[in-house]
Amino acid sequence: MSFTTKPGGKALDILQNLPRISLANLRPEPGTKKAERRRGRGQHGGNRSGRGHKGERQRGNRPRLGFEGGQTPFYLVIPKYGYNEGHSRRAQYQPLTLNRLQYLIDLGRIDTTQPIDLTQLVNGRGVTIQPLKRDYGVQLVSEGAGIFAAKVNIEVQMASEEAIAAIERNGGIVTTSFYDPRSLAILCKPVPFFLSGQPIPKRMLPGEDMVKYYTDATNRGYLADPGQIQKARMALAQKYGYILPDISKDALFHMLSMRKLPRQIFFGLSPGWVVNMPEKKILKPSDEKLLQYYNS
Amino acid sequence: MATHMMCKSTAMFCWAIRGLSPIKSYIPASAQCGLLMQIAHYNPKPLKLNLKDPYIPDKDSEKTPEWQKTAKYDRKLFGRYGFSSGTDLAKLWPSHAQLEDMIAEEREWNPPLEVTLKNVEAKEKEANAKRLAREKLVAANMAKMPKMVADWRKEKREAKQKLKDEKARRERLLAEARERFGYAMDPRSPKFLEMVSEIEKEEKKKRKLMKRRLKEDQSQAPLAAPSTGSS
Repeated sequence: MSFTTKPGGKALDILQNLPRISLANLRPEPGTKKAERRRGRGQHGGNRSGRGHKGERQRGNRPRLGFEGGQTPFYLVIPKYGYNEGHSRRAQYQPLTLNRLQYLIDLGRIDTTQPIDLTQLVNGRGVTIQPLKRDYGVQLVSEGAGIFAAKVNIEVQMASEEAIAAIERNGGIVTTSFYDPRSLAILCKPVPFFLSGQPIPKRMLPGEDMVKYYTDATNRGYLADPGQIQKARMALAQKYGYILPDISKDALFHMLSMRKLPRQIFFGLSPGWVVNMPEKKILKPSDEKLLQYYNS
Repeated sequence: MATHMMCKSTAMFCWAIRGLSPIKSYIPASAQCGLLMQIAHYNPKPLKLNLKDPYIPDKDSEKTPEWQKTAKYDRKLFGRYGFSSGTDLAKLWPSHAQLEDMIAEEREWNPPLEVTLKNVEAKEKEANAKRLAREKLVAANMAKMPKMVADWRKEKREAKQKLKDEKARRERLLAEARERFGYAMDPRSPKFLEMVSEIEKEEKKKRKLMKRRLKEDQSQAPLAAPSTGSS
C-alpha cells in the first residue's frame, strides 16, 4: 500500500486502488443479516417448534389448492366455460421483447454480425426455453419497438407485426420457423446433444394447426414463398410509413441473406451429420439410403 | 454503549481492509481506447471430460453392466472421446432395418407438407361450407320474420277483440235480463240461460230472414238491371 501524504488524497487513493467489485469480494454489509432462528434446539428439543399439534399443519404436507378433503371440490362441481380447456397441453412461446433484444446486443451478449437463432439467445442467457414444459420457442414482442436500433437477422418462432416492422425498418430480417420439441431441445442445448454422439435429426414440419402460420408471408414464415415475403415487406413498410432499406447493397448482405433450410436445425450443419466436440470433427454419412432419408 | 460502537467501527474497518488487501491497478481495457465498444463474447463451459484416461468398458467382461454394452452407449462414448473410444463409425447411424422403421413412422405421423396443406384446406373448406349453409338458413328465416311478426300481432289483436266482444255481449245480455225480470240475474241460473237461448234463437231466425231477403234482393236486382240498361 502506497498512501500519498497530500491531504485528502488518502480516500481518493483507496478508491482508485480498490479492486473491482466482483463475486469474490462482494459480501453483505455487517449487521444487515440476521442469523436464522434454529427451532427445536436445546431445551425445546421434544416440542412442536411452533407448528401446532399433529396433522398436515405440523408436517407441512398440506393438500393442493382447491382440495376439500376428498369431497368433490368446488372447481369440479361448478362447470365452467372452456377458456382453459387443454391449457396443460397448449404450446407456449416465451416472450422476447425488442427492449430485451436491444439490451442483449448493447451488452455484447449477442453478436449481430452473425444470424441470431435460439442457440445465440439461449447462450447469451436472453431467454430460457424449456422444451419439456411445452415451450415451442420464443415470440418476438413489440415492447421497445421505438428504441430498437440494431440490424439483425433473427429467427424466432412467432413475431408480432409491430416487432417485424421495427426490425425491418432498421434493415434487419425476421424469419419465423417451427421446431418440433426434439429439434428445439437440440437447438437450445447443442453441446449435450453432440456429446451423445447421435446424428443430427431432421427437423419436423409443422402440424396441421401450425402450418398455416408458417406458410404465411405476413408472418415471415419459413415455408412462405420468398417473392411473397418481399411483397409483404413492402406492404408493411407502407403501412407503418418507413422506407425499406435496400439490403442487397449492405456490407452484411451475405449474413442477412442466410436462412436455414426447412429441415435444418443448425446453420451450416445438415441433418444426418455427427459432430464430435472433443476432436472438433464432423462425420457425414455416405450410405445411399441414409442420405436419401436425411435429405428428403 | 460507546465501547460497543467502537467495536463495531473497528470491525467495519477490518472488513474494509480485508477487501483492500489484494490491491492492484485494475483498468478496464475499454476505458483506455476511449470509445466503448461492446463485442459479443461467448465463454463456453469447459467440456469436463477425462480425455487422457477415458473409461472404455470391456464388452466381453461379465462385470460390465448391460447398459454399457448398448449401441446408444457406444455412440455416447464416441461423442465424448472421439476415435480413441474404438467405436465402429458405421454404428453411429441407424441400421437399414432401423431406418425402415423410422421411415415408416415418419410416413405415419409426419406427412409431407403438401398433404398437410391439402388436409388443412379441406378442413377449412368444410368449415366454410358449414358456416355458409347456416348463414343461408338464418337469412331465409330472417326474411320470413316480418310476415310472422305481423301475423302474430294480428292474431293477438283478434283474440283481444273477440274477448272484448264477448264481454260486451254478456253485459248486454245481463242488462236485458235485468230489464226483463226486474232484478240482477246470476249468469249461471237456468232462467237466464233459457233466456239467452231464446234470444239466440230469435237472432238466428232474424239472421235467416235477413239472408233470404238479401237473396231475394240480389235475384231481383239482375232482373231489374238489364231493364234499366235497355230503357
